[in-house]
Amino acid sequence: MGKIRFSRAQLCIPYGLFLVCFVFAPLVVIIYYAFTNGQGQFTLENLTSFFSSPNTIGTLAYSFGIAVVTTGVCLLLAYPVAYILARSSYRHKSVILMIFVMPMWINFTLRITALKEVLTIIEGNLSFHPFLNTVIGMTYDFLPFMILPIYTTLIKLDGSLLEAAADLGADALQTFLKVTLPLSVPGIISGIVMVFLPSMTNYVVLDMLYNSTYIMGSLIGAYFSAYDWHNGSMIALILLVIILLFTLFTNRYSDSDAGSRGGVFGA
Amino acid sequence: MKRMRKMYRLVQCLALTILMIEVWQGQGSIGNGIGYVKAADQTNQKEKPIVLRVCNWEEYIDLGEWDEEEIIELENGTVIFGEQPIYNDFEEWYQETYGREVHVEYSCFGTNEDLYNQLTMGDTYDLICPSEYMIMKLMAEDKLCPYSEEFYNRDNPYNYYINNVSPFIYKTLATNEINGENWAKYAAGYMWGITGVLYNPELMTEEEASTWSVFGNPKFNRQVTLKDNVRDSYFAALGILKADVLTDEAFLAASDYHERLEDLMNDVSPTTIEQAQELLDLLMDNVYSLETDSGKADMITGKIVANYQWSGDAVYAMDQADEDDFELKFAVPKESTNLWFDGWVMLQNGIGKDADKQHAAEAFVNYMSRTDSAVRNMYYIGYTSSIAGNREDATIYEYLKWCYEAQEDVEDSIEYPVGYFFSGDNADADYIVDVDASQIGRQLYAQYPPQEIIDRSAVMRYFDADANKAINQMWINVRCFDIYDVPVGVWIAVLVAILVLLRTVYFKSKLATCNS
Repeated sequence: MGKIRFSRAQLCIPYGLFLVCFVFAPLVVIIYYAFTNGQGQFTLENLTSFFSSPNTIGTLAYSFGIAVVTTGVCLLLAYPVAYILARSSYRHKSVILMIFVMPMWINFTLRITALKEVLTIIEGNLSFHPFLNTVIGMTYDFLPFMILPIYTTLIKLDGSLLEAAADLGADALQTFLKVTLPLSVPGIISGIVMVFLPSMTNYVVLDMLYNSTYIMGSLIGAYFSAYDWHNGSMIALILLVIILLFTLFTNRYSDSDAGSRGGVFGA
Repeated sequence: MKRMRKMYRLVQCLALTILMIEVWQGQGSIGNGIGYVKAADQTNQKEKPIVLRVCNWEEYIDLGEWDEEEIIELENGTVIFGEQPIYNDFEEWYQETYGREVHVEYSCFGTNEDLYNQLTMGDTYDLICPSEYMIMKLMAEDKLCPYSEEFYNRDNPYNYYINNVSPFIYKTLATNEINGENWAKYAAGYMWGITGVLYNPELMTEEEASTWSVFGNPKFNRQVTLKDNVRDSYFAALGILKADVLTDEAFLAASDYHERLEDLMNDVSPTTIEQAQELLDLLMDNVYSLETDSGKADMITGKIVANYQWSGDAVYAMDQADEDDFELKFAVPKESTNLWFDGWVMLQNGIGKDADKQHAAEAFVNYMSRTDSAVRNMYYIGYTSSIAGNREDATIYEYLKWCYEAQEDVEDSIEYPVGYFFSGDNADADYIVDVDASQIGRQLYAQYPPQEIIDRSAVMRYFDADANKAINQMWINVRCFDIYDVPVGVWIAVLVAILVLLRTVYFKSKLATCNS
């Protein structure tokens, strides 16, 4: 018996199979349903009805609003934390980092239930501020996903660059704006991707915090439970396209930023 | 050359993949083959265990493992105890009674719509337990098998269902028709109930709670919850919209009152749907939220004062609250209430022409309809069984007394007739139980509502394809955020953000051109 050897391509087969069965095939089904009607005929009606109804567009806007605000809040909260952690000379940084990441290990439903009680104590009646509660819930849920990537980029940041900036006469603020921040853009981008996309569809948070307005995820569910696969699939497809565009856009930025040191604020 | 090599690799990979699939499939069939041969060798082909695929609601059957102190000893000597899941007991009972081995594959579904989608996507079950409207839909689509004539033979002592089912439930089933066939032929009642308002008597009066318009009452602004479910919310909306007619005395006294009531509560005309949407839009601004499950806990923690509730969940919530020394009550709106039930139906694509399987499925329904099984299930899940027992076997009535009968020394006990359920005659002296007067509006009232509530109950039928589409669209419109509601400030902020973004992009591309 000779040694069993696998080429790289062969090692990809299991993943390839997985991809075909569980990613590619469902996608084909979604596309098929999205562009057909109940009689199985090709139609663009699902697409036009999505963009012509003030309710579906409103839902898209509402989900977008939640995602944008959540991402913004996460970024504002996470960056200082990640920065302080990465810059501190404390030896057991990983312990502190763990404290921030630890909530992720606790069951999600349990955390939101606890948050619900805390918010009730603070606000009294939760139903008056559904948008605010949702943003708080999402932030609570996704904050670690923002801290981690920023922290990892910052910790890898070459200290000599900062020294060089100081040697060339930059003060602390200038160093931060012209060196640290531009160099951490890839981390920020991956943080944004990890927070923005799930917060557009994670309707469990809304359900649990008594926000009865539909977002994209729940709208798809609503169509499916009305046995309307076609409109539901179309919304899923539209969401997919949005995600795709978003990823392409952010990819371009994170790549070029890693290469040239111009940065968003460079110009 | 290099490219050729690459191509060769690719072909190799593809071939390997195909080979793997082949081997995998082959193994499967080889395996099956061996299993089949073995079974055939050991026993006669006929003796192979019958596999019965049952799909029921989650948490909707006794799964056993009761504590020792949970043993129920009734006055008629019956002892009720759930040691193991009831469907395992059924397997043993079937083996003993009919000498055949049966294996129950038990699975669960979350909502009627989920179940329907599972069925359309190709899942096959033999016996399922959907709600009345889904049964109607499945009947209309000709997906169900009728029960055999033997199933309705009262002389067979093992036909527990027909001998024990409540006359009230059986009548409801037998008087409703789809495509000219009555439901009783296709469905066997399992659990039933009504809908109403669970409320906190300290903060809300019974009168305030006894109407569907409590959900629009500004006094309880943001303190009441509706159900996160289009049918229930639509029913409440109909109750409010048609309140004037529904409570009109001439209407109540009409000889065809019940038919007209059911017609009103099944109104799916476009104008009514439009009115319901406007009303629900208003209600959405007055309710705390829509919920499916959280309402019970929120009542107990005092977040809300009243919620739309199914009778079984109301019983559960009142029991829970009692443990915390907190009183909750159940009121049934004066306009009308939704009489619902879940029933066992056999599916054509599961049972087919397999007589053995149909026999096992019918036996399963019969086993569930044994009075002791019904008590076990009722005790475990808190809903009311459609099983009433009979004059010889009064276990269910004994269980009712075990739960609710007043102690002999209680002074203000009242007579509570439940004859409509047990014998079909509410004046039946055998079925009048003495209960504490405080039971009115409490557990017993929710579990076995008095006759006058049953009189104003209506079954909500399934919506046909057009109505279903219209009502679901109405519900989506209610739930979605309207783009015209976006405040001007937000539009301006968005505009500014886009401008900033464009500026950044512009400078970046300029920079990129300079660099290159």
